[in-house]
Amino acid sequence: MVSGNKSSDSIDLKGAPLSLAEGARGALLSFLRETLDNGLLDALLIPMKVPAGDSYAWVLVKDKSLLEDANPFAPIMPVQGARALSSITKHGAPDLRIGAVLRPCEQRAAIELCKLKQLDMEKVVFITLDCPGVIPLKDWFSDPEKGETQFQQLLEKGDFLSPQMRPVCQICDKMSAPIDVDNATFPDIHFALLGVPENKGLLIPFSDIGNELLEKTGQALSSDTQTWQSKVKEINAQKCGKRKTAHEKLDKEISGPEKFPKAFAFCINCHNCMRVCPVCYCQKCYFDSEMLKHSADTYLERSMKKGSLWFKPDSLLFQIGRLSHMSLSCVSCGTCQDACPMDIIVGQVFAFSSDQTQQAFEYAAGRNLDETLPMRIYQEDKELPEVCSMCKDVLESGEDQ
Amino acid sequence: MSDTFEPRIVGFFCKWCTYAGADLAGTSRLQYPPNVLPIRVMCSSRVDPVFLITAYLRGADAVLIGGCHPGDCHYIEGNYYTRRRMAMMKTIFESLGLEPERLRLSWISASEGPRFASVITEYTENTRKKGPNPVKSKVFI
Repeated sequence: MVSGNKSSDSIDLKGAPLSLAEGARGALLSFLRETLDNGLLDALLIPMKVPAGDSYAWVLVKDKSLLEDANPFAPIMPVQGARALSSITKHGAPDLRIGAVLRPCEQRAAIELCKLKQLDMEKVVFITLDCPGVIPLKDWFSDPEKGETQFQQLLEKGDFLSPQMRPVCQICDKMSAPIDVDNATFPDIHFALLGVPENKGLLIPFSDIGNELLEKTGQALSSDTQTWQSKVKEINAQKCGKRKTAHEKLDKEISGPEKFPKAFAFCINCHNCMRVCPVCYCQKCYFDSEMLKHSADTYLERSMKKGSLWFKPDSLLFQIGRLSHMSLSCVSCGTCQDACPMDIIVGQVFAFSSDQTQQAFEYAAGRNLDETLPMRIYQEDKELPEVCSMCKDVLESGEDQ
Repeated sequence: MSDTFEPRIVGFFCKWCTYAGADLAGTSRLQYPPNVLPIRVMCSSRVDPVFLITAYLRGADAVLIGGCHPGDCHYIEGNYYTRRRMAMMKTIFESLGLEPERLRLSWISASEGPRFASVITEYTENTRKKGPNPVKSKVFI
């Protein structure tokens, strides 16, 4: 993991070409095997096919022979990788050097968890990849085999704009290493598939460790990355436009005291969205706590005052409250939406709302490890313009600052 | 009973400044509308965003947080955090179309009795113009 102040102009980067004769998965796996072989990495955290063959799970692998079933390009994301990485490292850096093979949104979530002291990245080597998105779990489980083939075809075609992916994946404008972002934190190695020469993938090192890994496995940095960079920028720009349109549409659909409750009307209060969220780390969620379990008298009183009271009384409080807790760290991965048994568009709504809160604080979740969480700091005199304008009625009376 | 709408405003006032300011307004016999339900907190930063949402969803027509002026916080920096939290909450309310004007943050010091009275008057009138909180009339919220 390395933070750089790279400008948005093309960066002078070199990559090591890998043959894609055995597919993107095979190519990356053979490199990963070598890192384990040479003792460069002690273990790998990687998605692996479960024995039943119809799902994927995160596995920490030490033995390279077990890598057979591993697939860094898993078509689904049942568990967000940052959550898996956090469970290994939250009590401090392990004695192992772990290679974590993550998607870009998982890396961003890992950065947020690190700021929240739920993850220690000191001995972790981050390997990310160009991500075409993931298939929604519901679509996947209707026919896993079909999903697997479809995903494979997308990868081969280099189709990164597929409408079969999660809705938030379709509008994700951060699906590769953050070369188009100012002052971003980079992975140690990125595996590039976009805009690269035919039948080749590129391993691009961003840090010293990344360079060391490639050097010791005999990968020569012989390829130019300009075409990859321009392709990534092109797709990101395209998806950025899609994101804007999608959010404008969403604004019309869910915004307002009438429409917003309707969007969440089917919520059954299961709190699955919170449990799978990579940045919802609290051991005991406030919304699961005794604080929201009231006595019969309280409910009766509330119903008397209001005239009636439905019995999932605090379900909107949970949604808005959760937004207040985590929207500044939301990486719009869409895991919440996948976990929703009622098909509520919770991931889309959260991505939409968090884009606005993060913008207000000139913050982007997972962009840079050195940026402080906006609620942990303040500016005395030169508070952010958006913060000032949001508290404007105070300023107007000339009393503030 | 008349059917005219009387706004109910929940006020979270910091013990050191705004609450003392309210006291001063009272002892100075200043007139202001009785529509605010004051809740004393040790610092405006004690107000968890969840309190605001709870008040709003249970039908408060408006929520007011009163704290010390920036730089005057009894705990040095509490109100700076409050300001950020309030900006975040208002942005979230705005993004969901939930009337951020029903949330307000005001700095009122212990010596500002008249200011307390005028803030309450102004805010009550504004809220009256806005009308009742729409969530009140909905069963399914």
